[in-house]
Amino acid sequence: MKRALVIALLLAVAVPLLIAVADLPPHGSPDAPAHTHVAPRYLERGAEEAGAENIVTAVILNYRGLDTLGEVTVIFTAMAAVLAVLVGARAVTALDTPASALPVSMIVRFIVRVLAPFIVLFSIYVVLNGHVTPGGGFQGGTIAGALVIALTLIMSDEQAARLLPRRPERVLQAAAPLAFIMTGVTGLLLTGDFLGYPVGHESALVATLMLTFVEIGIGVGGAMVIATIFRTMGAGR
Amino acid sequence: MTTWPPLLVAVVVVPILGAVLTPVVGQWRARRAADWALGTMLLTSVVALLLVARVADGGPFSYVAGGWEVPYGIELRFDEFSAVTAIICLLGVLAIVFSRRYAEHALPEVRIPYYYALLLLNLAGMLGFSITGDLFNLFVFMEILSLSGYALVAVSGEKIAEMAAFKYLVMGAVSSIAVLFAIGMLYALTGSLNMADVASRLGGAPVAPVAVAFGMMALGFMVKAAIFPLHIWLPDAHAIAPSPVSAILSGLVVKVGIVGMLRLYQIAYTSRALDLEALNTVLMWLGALSIVMGAFFAVFQDDVKMMLAYSTISNIGYIVMGLGLASSAGVIGASVHVFNHAIIKATLFLGAGALIFRTGKRTLTDLAGVGHAMPWTVAAISVGAISIVGIPPTAGFLCKWYIALGAVEAGHPFFAFALVFGALFIFIYYIRMVNAFYFRPPRDPAILEVREAPASMLVPILVLATLCLVMGVLGRIPLSFIEPAVTRLLAPIGGG
Repeated sequence: MKRALVIALLLAVAVPLLIAVADLPPHGSPDAPAHTHVAPRYLERGAEEAGAENIVTAVILNYRGLDTLGEVTVIFTAMAAVLAVLVGARAVTALDTPASALPVSMIVRFIVRVLAPFIVLFSIYVVLNGHVTPGGGFQGGTIAGALVIALTLIMSDEQAARLLPRRPERVLQAAAPLAFIMTGVTGLLLTGDFLGYPVGHESALVATLMLTFVEIGIGVGGAMVIATIFRTMGAGR
Repeated sequence: MTTWPPLLVAVVVVPILGAVLTPVVGQWRARRAADWALGTMLLTSVVALLLVARVADGGPFSYVAGGWEVPYGIELRFDEFSAVTAIICLLGVLAIVFSRRYAEHALPEVRIPYYYALLLLNLAGMLGFSITGDLFNLFVFMEILSLSGYALVAVSGEKIAEMAAFKYLVMGAVSSIAVLFAIGMLYALTGSLNMADVASRLGGAPVAPVAVAFGMMALGFMVKAAIFPLHIWLPDAHAIAPSPVSAILSGLVVKVGIVGMLRLYQIAYTSRALDLEALNTVLMWLGALSIVMGAFFAVFQDDVKMMLAYSTISNIGYIVMGLGLASSAGVIGASVHVFNHAIIKATLFLGAGALIFRTGKRTLTDLAGVGHAMPWTVAAISVGAISIVGIPPTAGFLCKWYIALGAVEAGHPFFAFALVFGALFIFIYYIRMVNAFYFRPPRDPAILEVREAPASMLVPILVLATLCLVMGVLGRIPLSFIEPAVTRLLAPIGGG
């Protein structure tokens, strides 16, 4: 009975959706409004007027920079949410569970240690090169965050705690929105518009530096957020 | 009066900046986080007031971030409906002041900086939501305010609070997906995300996808607004959250769904892509049902905050019914009730919070006689109760009167009847509350010994209660303020 109801409900939602989607402009068609209205301008003029050779970066950080500022704020919100709900709650259970239930295999430990410097290098490459090729702060930050998680798994809690800088930790967690807002205000001073980037040949370097600064901020902030969420959720495991 | 154009961005960037720095400021002493959050919101309030003054003077204005032209960059647009920013700032400031003592009492100290950060993020999300003119930007701000809202419900760390937050999260996630899907369809149809641009390009679009997109968006916003029968997440979440959070959630966050509906109507009416008769009929009926069912459930609640939560469902019903009527008076009444209900419900939730803070009790039975021990708080609650019933000199009356007028004007006198019927029900349960506080003998004589709420709680409550009265006396000002926006909204369909 319950299953029949669920199926009926899903059909009631799915059928109108399918009918509607069938009537949308065909996917990938060159005549679809998605390809003929706003997008051509990004493709044709993005490289010169938005300061980034990679069009995706131009859209994310420049044309629609305010959205991305909002998105990095969403990521920060997720971390604040995890901390607000979990911090200070698990202190009791931490004492009950044995410190390490299962020793980590030597092979895993060895491979993570060997690969760590290369992973760091690759994440820096992805962050800095996002300006030219696909990639950027989000992706590079995730790679670095994943490395912190991998290292946490093979280390004791005390060693793992030293992985993240203790002192300016809370500033670094907010690095992405902070870098974004700082760049936005710099743009306001240079061009008169919030999140404006200087255009033109002679100021290309300034625009590139501003974009790179945002990318680094997103990368550092992203890595810190991922590592912090992981550590908070694993506290007292 | 003109303002510096980038000021429009500041109204959301300032609280975001304040929020991400709150944990930094509060890492040594939690009280500093409270001061910092208050300073941030006071600064934001100044900006919001300048913007509202400008829109009152010269009508709507825009700013495109990054200096791009309109469909290419993100347009922020401040119209009369965006004046809700002023109420968001006002309640934000008062909730932060109120939280000062309340958070220390109700939360573990390590969580307090994150509590204020989330509160600021929630306010920033609502501010951004109400000023953006871009569909995807709307979604981004909706995520900021939703995510922070879920966490704020759970922040006290009680099991029941975590369950309530989880229920809220699941319903909220479904509504977010519905809205995002609708935005995607509108983009596929028009190639644009700018609301005005979408509206102008939607004219010749095929009917089925437009109908589904509008429907999905309305569904998503109605879940956020907690209209019956999509309200099931609301009572627990609003009743169990810390009281200042309840005031923000019940006073403001559910209104996000209403502001979203107004934006949807702006697009739909201007584009003339679809006749919205069917949607409006559904909204009128759901509104009427919400009024009656919300009031009906509220009568049976013994828990004060639970009762207030059901009363929110009832009041959202009034607003949604007013929107569905699509007549000038109905929509004006609904829009102004967004403002007035925010003030009234915040008075009541903060008042209830003060009672719970002092007595540790939260049911009408246990709180009997508390009016003698905490006269100021209970007097403020009574003012809120009279306002929400809609007795003439207070803030609730004029909006409901306008919505009833709107029902008659649109040729649906039955709905005016539902409204009056609902008001009677509401009258019953609020009279029950006031009666318990003042006239019932206390169950435990110790309740007569409790002290009046501390100043940091009492002042916000009294400010709000005063506003309930002032908004009643000066009720015509918001009505005439919002009128041009409603006339513009309804002009394409021959109303207004």
